[in-house]
Amino acid sequence: MGAIIRNIEYVFPDQKITNENLLEAFPDYDFDKFEEKVGIKNRYWVTENETALDLAVKACLKLFTKIDSKEIDFILYCTQSPEYFLPTTACVLQNKLDLRKDIGALDFNLGCSGYPYGLSIAKGLINTGQVKNVLLVTAETYSKYLHPNDRSNRAIFGDAATATLISFSEKEYFGDFLFGTDGSGYDKLIVKNGCSRNAYDFNAEEKVYGTNNTYTDNNLYMNGPEVFNFTSEVIPEFTKEVLLKNNKSIDDIHQFVLHQANSFMLNFIRKRLKIEEDKFYRNLSDGGNTVSSTIPIALKNYSQLNNFDEQDVIIVGFGVGLSWSGGLITIKNKL
Amino acid sequence: MDKKSFILKLQNDLELETEINETSILKDLDEWDSMTEMVLIGLVNEEFSVRLNHDDIEKISTVDSLIEIIGFDKFD
Repeated sequence: MGAIIRNIEYVFPDQKITNENLLEAFPDYDFDKFEEKVGIKNRYWVTENETALDLAVKACLKLFTKIDSKEIDFILYCTQSPEYFLPTTACVLQNKLDLRKDIGALDFNLGCSGYPYGLSIAKGLINTGQVKNVLLVTAETYSKYLHPNDRSNRAIFGDAATATLISFSEKEYFGDFLFGTDGSGYDKLIVKNGCSRNAYDFNAEEKVYGTNNTYTDNNLYMNGPEVFNFTSEVIPEFTKEVLLKNNKSIDDIHQFVLHQANSFMLNFIRKRLKIEEDKFYRNLSDGGNTVSSTIPIALKNYSQLNNFDEQDVIIVGFGVGLSWSGGLITIKNKL
Repeated sequence: MDKKSFILKLQNDLELETEINETSILKDLDEWDSMTEMVLIGLVNEEFSVRLNHDDIEKISTVDSLIEIIGFDKFD
């Protein structure tokens, strides 16, 4: 008895922002170098009246062209861009998708580590016999949190939503998962104002960080050097632990799919782990860093572009929290 | 690694067009931006197992100051 990923679908918003578009706003920046190092050509941002939930609905409807929505027993909704403070966005989604009412639905607030978490929770729900079909949704619109003059983060982050169906299977396609948390780094990637601790400040002071990026405490702030240090220190070792937990070596794994944060950083981790380039997924040119959606987007694209029956894949997510998670999955055919 | 090879490595890895020496002020270089910082953090981490944090990056002025932050004992 076990669980399997049956399908993955994803959507980007319609508004495509190319590096050429950004160059118009930031004429002094070397976007060719950015493209070479960070690996992003374009990202997609929602318009003012569009939300992460709108994207999530589109991704789910795409999934429902392949599967019957009435099969779904549980919604796991990963977001840091909820529709409201309350109610739970997953409840709103249940109604919008006209799903059954005898189902479970919850939101969980995680960023780049969210997808492996979601898969692991889905596996737990299925393998304990509580449900048969879990809809795991990731939906994020960080673009709404970015200051108009925060060039670095505007270049990196894109909006997206994904929908994954995880189902009961006679054979187990899920390995073991591991998790990590270090809340001492909570302020390395943060939107400070607008929630319980600090109210939204209409007169918030503009601050400059890094190389001439502007933000206020109402916006998303990322301490790039510290996040890079955290990642380079923790993630290579953690990836090895995930392998060990699953009794696998690097050679046993067909593909490593890590959170697509930034191409340079991914290559840094790859070299640390001594993994060949063709076994280490690296493609964020179309879409950029879409937070919890990068891993499912990568899995979908990887499975579409390659012909195989079954492959063992290690997935690892890491970032805001600070939080990280990873596990082994076996993917079958085209997702 | 000796100082000379380190400066050469900086020159190459940071893709600097102007030649640098111990007294060159890194942040005044045309090429200096957040990506240069990222590459520098990676380089120093890989070569010396030293983590340059946010404050270290703020403190960097000349190449010599960078060498001091990394630690004189790490150089031949």
